[in-house]
Amino acid sequence: MVIPVSRSSRGSRPTIEGPGFLARADLQVLFDLLREDGRQLIGPTVADGAIIYDDITSVDQLPRGWGDEQSPGRYRLRRRGDERLFGYVVGPTAWKKWTFPALIPLTHSTHDGHKVSFEPEQATPPKLAFLGARACELAALGVQDRVLIGTEFIDPDYMVRRANVFVVAVQCTTSASTCFCTSMGTGPEVTDGFDLSLTELDAGFLVDSGTPAGRAVLERLPLRPASAAEQYGVAATVAAVRARIGDPVPTDGIHDRLLAQLDHPRWAQVAERCITCGNCTLACPTCFCTTLTQTTDLTGKNAVASRSWDSCFSPGFAKVAGGSFRARPRDRYRQWLTHKFATWWDQFGTSGCVGCGRCITWCPVGIDVRDELNAIAPPVPLSPESRLVEPVAATPNEFVTARVVNTKAETADTTTLTLTGVDPAFSHGSTGQFAMVALPGFPPLPISISRFLTDGIELTIRGAGPATRAMCALQVGDQVGLRGPLGNNWPLDRAVGRDLVIVTGGIGLAPLRPVLHAIVADRRRFGDVKLFYGARTPADLIYRDELERWGKRDGIDVSLTVDRAGPDWSGRVGIVTHLFDQAAWDGSNMIAFVCGPERMMQATSTTLAGRGVSASRIHVTLERHMECGIGLCGHCQMGKYFVCRDGPVFSIAQLGDTFGREGI
Amino acid sequence: MQDQASLVAVLNSTWFASGLEPGIQTRLAELSRTFTAEPGQELFREGDESEVLGIVIKGRVALRIHVPERGDFTILTVEPGDVYLWSALVPPYRATSTAVAIEALEAITFEGPALRAALREDAALAQALYPRVLVAVARRLNATRVQLLDLFAAEQVRTW
Repeated sequence: MVIPVSRSSRGSRPTIEGPGFLARADLQVLFDLLREDGRQLIGPTVADGAIIYDDITSVDQLPRGWGDEQSPGRYRLRRRGDERLFGYVVGPTAWKKWTFPALIPLTHSTHDGHKVSFEPEQATPPKLAFLGARACELAALGVQDRVLIGTEFIDPDYMVRRANVFVVAVQCTTSASTCFCTSMGTGPEVTDGFDLSLTELDAGFLVDSGTPAGRAVLERLPLRPASAAEQYGVAATVAAVRARIGDPVPTDGIHDRLLAQLDHPRWAQVAERCITCGNCTLACPTCFCTTLTQTTDLTGKNAVASRSWDSCFSPGFAKVAGGSFRARPRDRYRQWLTHKFATWWDQFGTSGCVGCGRCITWCPVGIDVRDELNAIAPPVPLSPESRLVEPVAATPNEFVTARVVNTKAETADTTTLTLTGVDPAFSHGSTGQFAMVALPGFPPLPISISRFLTDGIELTIRGAGPATRAMCALQVGDQVGLRGPLGNNWPLDRAVGRDLVIVTGGIGLAPLRPVLHAIVADRRRFGDVKLFYGARTPADLIYRDELERWGKRDGIDVSLTVDRAGPDWSGRVGIVTHLFDQAAWDGSNMIAFVCGPERMMQATSTTLAGRGVSASRIHVTLERHMECGIGLCGHCQMGKYFVCRDGPVFSIAQLGDTFGREGI
Repeated sequence: MQDQASLVAVLNSTWFASGLEPGIQTRLAELSRTFTAEPGQELFREGDESEVLGIVIKGRVALRIHVPERGDFTILTVEPGDVYLWSALVPPYRATSTAVAIEALEAITFEGPALRAALREDAALAQALYPRVLVAVARRLNATRVQLLDLFAAEQVRTW
């Protein structure tokens, strides 16, 4: 974007409305202006083999010509071979060192006879200017603002220190292998949270202001208007940084994905490497946990309570009289990661991670948080099975129509209808969703979608009452009314990389059939897949051809059983739980999808729990009386849920003791 | 006839006999013999004296009950790891169903009278084995109850 430059009518110094250009040789003017303003300058300088932030007074102290190389557990300075002053990425120091110091006195207390007194320490921080804050670091300041002064109770020390800071941001023109601001939505573009921003070019800087205070400084700088080419060059450079970083941690849905994996085996694996040193939390620009230390003089009458940074990796961090709540390294690593990427959202409405990569570089054993996230809560593939589309004819008074192009009698009372001419929303529905299906004169009924086709869907319907019998009697060419797709889906994304066990009975296979199609379409994403399917008699098994194909060709371990059979049946007879109640499984990496009569699902979840599958990984789909399908009519309430809107798929952990309880 | 060590290993591979103390498993192996049957071979008939207690190692045994006028119904299949003819340990020692091997069967069997005598004489063996038999029978009882519910039957639409 080219921003117009106007000249003041008085014809004196030009007023630059957009970004201006500051020659590198003139950067000292900025230093001097800020110092004249009574500010202590904090900026980058080379010390101890790294680029750290420290007190500086002169441009000569900046890391001229220095760059850095970063990778998990590794940081090295390198000569760039040019004169750039900001040609590096973030180092080990975070600005919180000044806004939220590592150690501050908090309270002075005295003990005099029976009398005690407590005197709060008042911070009188110097006026500071931060020079060189990157986009991720601006975001980190914003995160700490939310945590420390953004809720009902504020941290007074932080508030006064923060208010005293003038921020000069520097846009990134380079990146490290550890950067992932792009994934966290914090950079590399500087957009907010600064007074002045600089972007370095070969000969100088593009300068812009973000606040009136910044504007006031900008207007005193020896600037010339930035040329369109310079502005374009800056945008292109930052865009190239963005492209180079890519999207290493797809964060769409990371909150739910991560919290759904509290019992993932990877926590124990990463804990074998993690030495719980706490480096990650000390280097992190948003970590805010602290501890209090009491120091008394020799008389014992005067004491100072000091506050210092603490780390959730410290052994005593979660200690109470009876022991520590997070005694194991795996507990502490899980606490840290789930707080940063998930529960921080619940507490503060933002991520706790800004993607600066410090925890990766400065981890002495090179644990890469991006790898851990991708292993523990793998990204949701943007495939039909994992996203919910906007339903069509969402309200109960409207329907779209579809035409029957095929009918298949599955059993004596169950028919699969293939519908075409449906709204595309249906084809983009997700496994486990249902449609409200209507014929004139009959009440609309919720029917699970048993197959998603590119130009249609299939519905498998058991003729149990007048409306379903009328649907089963439809012929090729007949039309039906549809609303949907409605409800939630099977959490197939959680099954990626895990063993999956599907237990179903009767027509309960219908809502799970799309799950099997999705697995077959991308079989390698899943571990062992077992399908246990029970029916009343051999004649009541549906999708018989597909069952055979899934078992013989598609790498799915299919086990069938029936409740009763004639002598011509050579398969199993017995209840479906007998297929695995004595199995020598390890259920710790297993996720289960269960659909059938509620009594059968209860028995199944009990048996699965006995095989080590936790309640949060056992999912069932519930059937309740539904009339609207969108949580308005009230019929399908189950405890705090509307089965149609919040379900029909729930984990046993979600349902708690309402599952299987009489009369709920 | 297999040697004892391999019989012990085979017993250990079944949920019914796995994890028993080595001494008990050796004693069971002494009492056992291997048995095979062809698909379609009838092992025993309902009402027959229960001559052996068997553990299915491989294959499948259908337990059938005959209903006059309606024919034979398979009410359960015994799968690897599970027992058949537990009635060999419970008076009156009569089979409660007819058993047919519906897949080539490999089993380990225990002669009823010899097993009963051993259980009477060897308290440690009885203490180890009876709970397993009870689990097998209770498991079957529970399954039968669930089957009785006929959960997959079509919904009975009642007027009120």
